[in-house]
Amino acid sequence: MFYRESGDFKATYNKDQQIFTIALDRWFVILFVAFAFLVVPFLINDYWEKSVLVPVLVWSIAALGLNILVGYCGQLSLGTGGFMAVGAYASYKLTTAFPELNMFIVVLLSGGITAFVGILFGLPSLRIKGFYLAVATLASQFFLVWLFNKVPWFYNYSASGMIIAPERFVFGIAITGPNAPPWATYLFCLTIVVVFALIAKNLTRGRIGRSWMAIRDMDIAAEIIGVSPLYAKLSAFAVSSFYIGVAGALFFSVYLGAAEPTEAFGIDKSFLVLFMIIIGGLGTIFGSFIGAAFMTLMPVLFKNIMVGGLGWPTDLVAHLILILIGGLIMFFLIVEPHGLAQLWRIAKEKLRLWPFPH
Amino acid sequence: MGHQPNINDMLLEVKNISLSFGGVKVLSDISFDIKRNEIRAIIGPNGAGKSSMLNIINGFYHPQQGEIWFNGHKRVSEKPFKIARQGIARTFQNIALFKGMSTLDNLMTGRITKMNTNIFWQALWKGPAEREEIQHRERVEQIIDFLKIQSIRKTPVGRLPYGMQKRVELGRALAAEAKLLLLDEPMAGMNLEEKQDMCRFILDVNDEFDTTIALIEHDMGVVMDLSDRVVVLDYGRKLADGTPDEVRNNQTVIDAYLGVVHD
Ligand SMILES: Nc1ncnc2c1ncn2[C@@H]1O[C@H](COP(=O)(O)OP(=O)(O)OP(=O)(O)O)[C@@H](O)[C@H]1O
Ligand SMILES: [Mg+2]
Repeated sequence: MFYRESGDFKATYNKDQQIFTIALDRWFVILFVAFAFLVVPFLINDYWEKSVLVPVLVWSIAALGLNILVGYCGQLSLGTGGFMAVGAYASYKLTTAFPELNMFIVVLLSGGITAFVGILFGLPSLRIKGFYLAVATLASQFFLVWLFNKVPWFYNYSASGMIIAPERFVFGIAITGPNAPPWATYLFCLTIVVVFALIAKNLTRGRIGRSWMAIRDMDIAAEIIGVSPLYAKLSAFAVSSFYIGVAGALFFSVYLGAAEPTEAFGIDKSFLVLFMIIIGGLGTIFGSFIGAAFMTLMPVLFKNIMVGGLGWPTDLVAHLILILIGGLIMFFLIVEPHGLAQLWRIAKEKLRLWPFPH
Repeated sequence: MGHQPNINDMLLEVKNISLSFGGVKVLSDISFDIKRNEIRAIIGPNGAGKSSMLNIINGFYHPQQGEIWFNGHKRVSEKPFKIARQGIARTFQNIALFKGMSTLDNLMTGRITKMNTNIFWQALWKGPAEREEIQHRERVEQIIDFLKIQSIRKTPVGRLPYGMQKRVELGRALAAEAKLLLLDEPMAGMNLEEKQDMCRFILDVNDEFDTTIALIEHDMGVVMDLSDRVVVLDYGRKLADGTPDEVRNNQTVIDAYLGVVHD
């Protein structure tokens, strides 16, 4: 009975349209974010940064981006890895060409460049749908990775063909490179995630979000009542690619530090992000986060238990993890096709009535 | 009804429309008009071409021949979403709601032609986007009250019973505040009580909002009660056109349609 919405009446439409309509939810999220900003930076160490926090944050942005395109606008894409590569190479070119540039600006510009590329590769969506569109985006995945391998200008003619993130700063604090302190990279990613999650929420609860969902749910009816399919689809591709580009830039410059396109941005990344949003919940912002956390943390957890706890050999565990994750994905798809976000919603509905179920 | 002197009395004129798919002729040389603020019924047996006619009016089908005059202007061939913006809204024979969205969001989507803050303001939310949202929400709430669907405001429409879905779809079309409302069998599959409600809504919309309505309906009782004028189609040809009484007493119509289906 503590978790409730009764007695929490909305007197204005403004209040009814806020992000978390239930007061308790709102407070919980505010506390959580405050904890993440004010407490975690003092506790963080190298292990937590590299294995848990930064990857979860980076993949959350990628999942948010793909969810906008697939979950909200209904346009299936398998090009996520390729678009992350665009963001990564954009940030590499920008940081090497303009060493003085603030990393926030580098990341935003990388997102912008990826948005532009996303619009180009989104053009086929105006003519083809569903499975065929997925195949077209798959082609863009392979084309982009091929491009970054083939054209030496992208990797500044380095002998190895790899790109390595130089040390770059935000307000004098190193964010990239081996000397960047864990709290700094973490706060940098966290800030970007919080801002972009808010923006995603704002976009999806307003006119543009409704036009995306209208296209997703029934594209012909949407067009007949006044939604421009061209604008809705291309804006979804642009926004989605922007997010994925930002994720790619962070993944390369902050998380990996060095990358080679085939390895870092292959088709497996496209599927990884797709699994995240399917497991988390298509068409929900919250689902993007739990999906990203689930897919990043499960392997870490299993590894800690099996290698750390039980002392099994690492290579065996690596394969076992793949099998387990695959099994879990199938389990979730069968038991709750609407993802973890839906399970959470159902739990809340139950909790709202608890302890009097009727 | 305040008629402006310069614009003619007709909101819509359909002139010599012919439409075919491949070799199949669906409409041949159809002409009729719709006066401002009238309820105009389009009737005819299954496959007569009624829905196709509405699809032409809102730009989804492009006829091989003929002209459409809307609001005093000859219309050039346009994308449907642009025609929606000129003030034509519709409902569909097979419900075409956005299943994953709530009733409220479906109605808000109906107002898409009237909203225009850009994507950057929307990303920010506070400011113009929020103001616009609230202003349109108020209008949508009036429609929700009018249709008495307050209790399902937040329900995903996929979960609603059939009759309610039809009502929400009417709401979505009303939300557009269009000059011309096209209703494709709004009462099909409803029970008597639901039909009466729907008739009431249609009459009230026509009266209170001064909306011109084109209505496709199979129930002759409803057609005769609601409409000011009726056009009868039969296998792509126009059989008759006139007041309900004229149409009811027209011998060709009796032979071809009414005599078979009704009374
Ligand atoms: N897109 C299309 N492609 C091919 N044929 C079509 C198409 N749309 C309609 N037709 C054909 O045009 C004819 C008229 O169809 P329409 O849906 O306009 O009839 P209707 O009068 O609305 O009938 P009903 O009362 O059953 O709704 C039918 O024979 C139909 O098969
Ligand atoms: Mg029809």
